[in-house]
Amino acid sequence: MRVERPEIEDFLYREARLLDTRKFEEWFDLFTDDAIYWVPAGRDDIDPARHVSIIHDDKMAMATRIKRLRSGFAYAQDPQSRVHRLISNVELGATDNEKQTIEVTCMMLLIELARHRQTFHSARCEFTLEHSTGSWRVRRKKVNLLKNGEVLENTPYLI
Amino acid sequence: MHPPIEKLITKDAIHRSVYADPEIFDLEMERIFNKAWVYLGHSEEIREEGDYKTTYVGRHPIIVSRLADGSVTALINRCRHRGPIVCQHELGNSKYFRCPYHSWTYNNAGDLIGVPMPQGYGRSFDKSALGLAKVPRVAEYQGFIFGCMSEEGPPLKEYLGGITKFLDAYVATSPTGKIELFEGMQKCAYNGNWKYQLENGVDPYHVGSLHASAVTPEAMQIYRQGTGCVIAMDGHGVTDHTDWGPMPVDAGLSGGFNLVIFPNLVVLRSQIRTVRPIAVNRTEIYTNVVKLQNVPDEVNIRRMRDQEFQFGAAGTFFTDDIEIFERTQEGLQSGAVEWLVFSRGLDREVMKNGYMTGNMSDETQHRGMYQHWKRLMTAPLPMSTAAE
Repeated sequence: MRVERPEIEDFLYREARLLDTRKFEEWFDLFTDDAIYWVPAGRDDIDPARHVSIIHDDKMAMATRIKRLRSGFAYAQDPQSRVHRLISNVELGATDNEKQTIEVTCMMLLIELARHRQTFHSARCEFTLEHSTGSWRVRRKKVNLLKNGEVLENTPYLI
Repeated sequence: MHPPIEKLITKDAIHRSVYADPEIFDLEMERIFNKAWVYLGHSEEIREEGDYKTTYVGRHPIIVSRLADGSVTALINRCRHRGPIVCQHELGNSKYFRCPYHSWTYNNAGDLIGVPMPQGYGRSFDKSALGLAKVPRVAEYQGFIFGCMSEEGPPLKEYLGGITKFLDAYVATSPTGKIELFEGMQKCAYNGNWKYQLENGVDPYHVGSLHASAVTPEAMQIYRQGTGCVIAMDGHGVTDHTDWGPMPVDAGLSGGFNLVIFPNLVVLRSQIRTVRPIAVNRTEIYTNVVKLQNVPDEVNIRRMRDQEFQFGAAGTFFTDDIEIFERTQEGLQSGAVEWLVFSRGLDREVMKNGYMTGNMSDETQHRGMYQHWKRLMTAPLPMSTAAE
């Protein structure tokens, strides 16, 4: 499997833009049915079966999260957070020809504005992307927040 | 200027300064956190000899250590020489704590065991009097470790009162009668008073409203039916769906009970929340997730995943709680309205099992906690408030 970096970068920018522009359903569709959306707590290299995470969603949990954000009763998002995500330092890792997957890492700077406050999150993100259905989809998104061991301000938006 | 302390809590209302006045907060640090039993941590966090965790009692940084004889000690994390904290890790294992500034070294029982170039101090220099200050009283109930900065006052069991029965029922959800903790913590902060979390931890009235986007239809039904009760229990708060336990193993919203143990512990479902007041308008919440012994791994993992999904910094329930705490702090800046209304259920609460008990959506438990607050805030100060 030959993969060029610009193609992956375009995909990551799109993933970020869908979240920034609150196109949550389109974002959701980027994920495979067996996808995991994971934000570890404490440090980056925890075992999520032994250690608490900030977010550890399967696709059903992601759907519930989005449904809540769309419900009109998610008060922590009234008014909605405005979020900018900057994606950089994209590096391609190992590919698996059989599974049609590639490991990707990138840096993300997330800036959220809500309740007259700006909150910054820096994160090293890890993706497992899959190309089995003719286009790229996310099998695993892991967001390693720089602050994952610290107290966090309210984080009712998708990271 | 706030009205006199004894006038801030009436039988059905609370004065806004209780949440908004920095002077009240300073008094709380003195009269509540320096006098009451404060939750330090769970025995499981410091299982082995030499294990320690750091935490806080009010403004005191604390090291909680497991000593060689298996006992637990709690030390003020502050070098006796010039004052830096001597341990800056959350958890660890060590026989010694050494302040790097001038290398004063203490064992984990707090004794000062080493001072470089001691000949520089005169004959009156007494190492034995310069150990890390101790939290005067440390005691444990069902693995929950508490410390008290005062020598005086009731022993822990008496302070917990009727809550001990609920803690018994809580650990009994584990087939072995002992709970464990998952590794790590969820840590959140909000710009609001610490007591919002205590009220909210036992407040079924808000669930169907504030959590309309997160609560399941089945759980909503249970809240609407209003089965169960709220209890003002020896200054602590209980909401009980089960009519005195035992709590079901799955501990979903449809069963179990919530406990708020004044002033800083919330126990509900699979979580142990520690409340850390930082300032009148700033609070941190640290949450441990409870693991049951001898149950299938899937049960424990499900409990942790539910906990993360609903109650972490990104939790579908907790984010709305934090949001409302911040909105409350903002609203209470106004002195145009001085009082908050806490009268719900006042006319229908009854004594049951020796405790004032209200309907599921009542505020009996809140009134009980604030009477306790008032007792502590107005009690004459004991002779010794701290070991320091």
